[in-house]
Amino acid sequence: MPEVFIDGERYIYEGEQRLLQFIQDLGKEVPFFCYHPSMSAPANCRQCMVKVGQPIKDRETGEYEVDENGDRVIRWFPKLQTACNMMISDGMVVHTQETDELVSRAQKDNLEFILINHPLDCPICDQAGECPLQIQTYKYGPEGSRFEVKKVHKPKRVQLGPRVILDAERCINCTRCVRFTDEISKTHQLTITSRGDKNYPITAPNTEFDDPYSLNTVDLCPVGALTSADFRFKARVWEMNQTPSIDITNAKGCNIDLWTRDNLVLRVTPRFNEDVNDHWMPDEGREAYRIFNENRISRPKQKLDNEQVQSSWNNAFATISEQLEEAEKSDVLFVASPHASVEENYLFSKFASLTGYRTPLFTPHIEEGKGDGFLITDDLAPNTNGCRLLGLEEKSASEIAKAVKKATVVILLGDHLVDRGILTSEDLKEKFVAAFATNNSETTKIADLVVPITTAAEHAASYVNIDGRIQRTFPAKETKYTNRRLDFEMSEGRLDRYGTSFDNWVTDNNKVDCLPMWEIMRRVAEQAGLEEFQYGSGREVMEEIASISEPFNGVSYEAMDEQSGIQLDSIKPTTVQS
Amino acid sequence: MAYEFTKEDLQEIEKIKAKYPEVKAATLPALWVAQNRFGHVDENVQKLVANTLDLPESHVHGVATFYTQYYKEEKGKYVLDVCTCLSCQLCGGYDILEHLEKNLGIKKGETTEDGMFTLNEVECLGACGYAPMMQITNDQYVNNLTTEKVDKVVEDLKNGKVPEYEQIEMPLRNVK
Repeated sequence: MPEVFIDGERYIYEGEQRLLQFIQDLGKEVPFFCYHPSMSAPANCRQCMVKVGQPIKDRETGEYEVDENGDRVIRWFPKLQTACNMMISDGMVVHTQETDELVSRAQKDNLEFILINHPLDCPICDQAGECPLQIQTYKYGPEGSRFEVKKVHKPKRVQLGPRVILDAERCINCTRCVRFTDEISKTHQLTITSRGDKNYPITAPNTEFDDPYSLNTVDLCPVGALTSADFRFKARVWEMNQTPSIDITNAKGCNIDLWTRDNLVLRVTPRFNEDVNDHWMPDEGREAYRIFNENRISRPKQKLDNEQVQSSWNNAFATISEQLEEAEKSDVLFVASPHASVEENYLFSKFASLTGYRTPLFTPHIEEGKGDGFLITDDLAPNTNGCRLLGLEEKSASEIAKAVKKATVVILLGDHLVDRGILTSEDLKEKFVAAFATNNSETTKIADLVVPITTAAEHAASYVNIDGRIQRTFPAKETKYTNRRLDFEMSEGRLDRYGTSFDNWVTDNNKVDCLPMWEIMRRVAEQAGLEEFQYGSGREVMEEIASISEPFNGVSYEAMDEQSGIQLDSIKPTTVQS
Repeated sequence: MAYEFTKEDLQEIEKIKAKYPEVKAATLPALWVAQNRFGHVDENVQKLVANTLDLPESHVHGVATFYTQYYKEEKGKYVLDVCTCLSCQLCGGYDILEHLEKNLGIKKGETTEDGMFTLNEVECLGACGYAPMMQITNDQYVNNLTTEKVDKVVEDLKNGKVPEYEQIEMPLRNVK
């Protein structure tokens, strides 16, 4: 096995490896800015400098030359080397800043150079708190600045594109954003203009940075040079809670983090998952935070005299039961949804089958030609495959419409069929329509009963993506009935952990009056005299699904958490263009 | 204004492209073809070059803005780069610059109204041995300048007469 010595410790390695990546994988640290594991390493920030040497080998005997103490004689590179583009080779000896005075001095001096023209506006900079430059300056940088003359001024507040804003003065020219458009999104929209201390990234003249993946450059930016036009100045990083979740705006199921403060989702960032989305996500998915905050249905609503009025939960459950009892079984139609999770759809279909109704139908939400073979898919729903695996009846839009026209009682689960143009308000007249939904829409406006359910940001539930990978969400924001401090699934932010109750602002209106589907189905089932719906959480629902449904065998929340999602055998992944 | 390459230009660009394994390498010489044709490589010319080479516009823009020898805006017919770096400065580079400013009626960085001359102050052009000096449109060096010599060069240029390349003998050390 080839070996490498880092700070006096011996490690064995396999294959071709970049030194910086290897050091990071060991859990050790070397500061850097421009390196990114998914992109090329141009080594232009010069921050990851280390001292590297190679033992001298006798070419004829293949023996290492040794000194009088029996130690290998090391031939050091004449200058310090950047660890990011240095490939490890057998016998290599590396000294990082932890053991070598020269290396730590070089890194400190390099930071002083980088900081020469960097503005000291951390207090108003969005990146502060998650800024590699800030963190590494604290750790490795000089105490103060010796630079006494005027800093170079560059353009500020440049609207690069509809979603990204540039502050060129903050830029340290790491070129990560340029390489992202060259190597990952392949739109080649960015370049570095000018040179010397006047350079900064920009688009070609008269063009817009409208890359569908443009906001990834904001995450990539190691300083506050690129900021999101939408999230700018909205919140400080340390005030927010970060909760892992899944992108529900398309079928790829990008792994994401939801950032919440005061029970509002303020931004969405991608979370690394090698098998799904690597480090990236499409810009569209980041807009989804609005779904969780805005236009939410809070408290059940009921139609009285053709007008929807606020109702109560008890009233809502009683109404559904009444309607189901009154109608002929064949006249009742359950419409499931690819937009809802596996658990929700399962409970829906379990209820239908136990009470002797027709198996719920669903229709995929496809927009032909939207997909790009990368992270954007034709399928606009996160769980189409989940519905299929649960054995729900897949129907085309026209078939659904036909079935709805025949029924007298229609129960919709979260799919806004009127907004999608599949049904018209005429189709739903003279029928009893109950909608389990998260957000107000044209469809819920028509419904006779609207029951608010939790969104992906409020419950733990799983979704099967286009490649047959089942992944799950965590509750990120509280509802009226949940409490961050009591629910172990919910993340704790810095203020939850260390703050007093006066540090955290709580706006009660931000908590939506809605219930998870398992809670609702339990109450509905109780009204119908069924006892089989005693679930405390989505976790228990998934345990039941896994035990009775063949395709979901072996699936559990624990397993999904450990392996960051599970590839189900029954669906073959589509080949992804890289 | 829409810029277009002539047939000859396109042929030349094809020849340049054939020299390199990748078309990206042809960016610099193709920009020269463009600058020789149009006198500058402004945004529109950069776009034309990008389209001709089938390269991203941003790449061509980045390359063009990196080099000061590519003119990113329209310049005069003759661009006079007067060196005021150390050697020239000591030998009167600023005097030459000021003389030209007065003579042409423009400040450094500006272009005369008739579009004949652009005057620039530049850093060292590597001709310290024959300071003070200036360069004409990225090309000929005019060395050992005096105010009279500058006046003559300007007069000649007005009449379309570009100074010839000058070979200067370096004073050799006397070797016995």
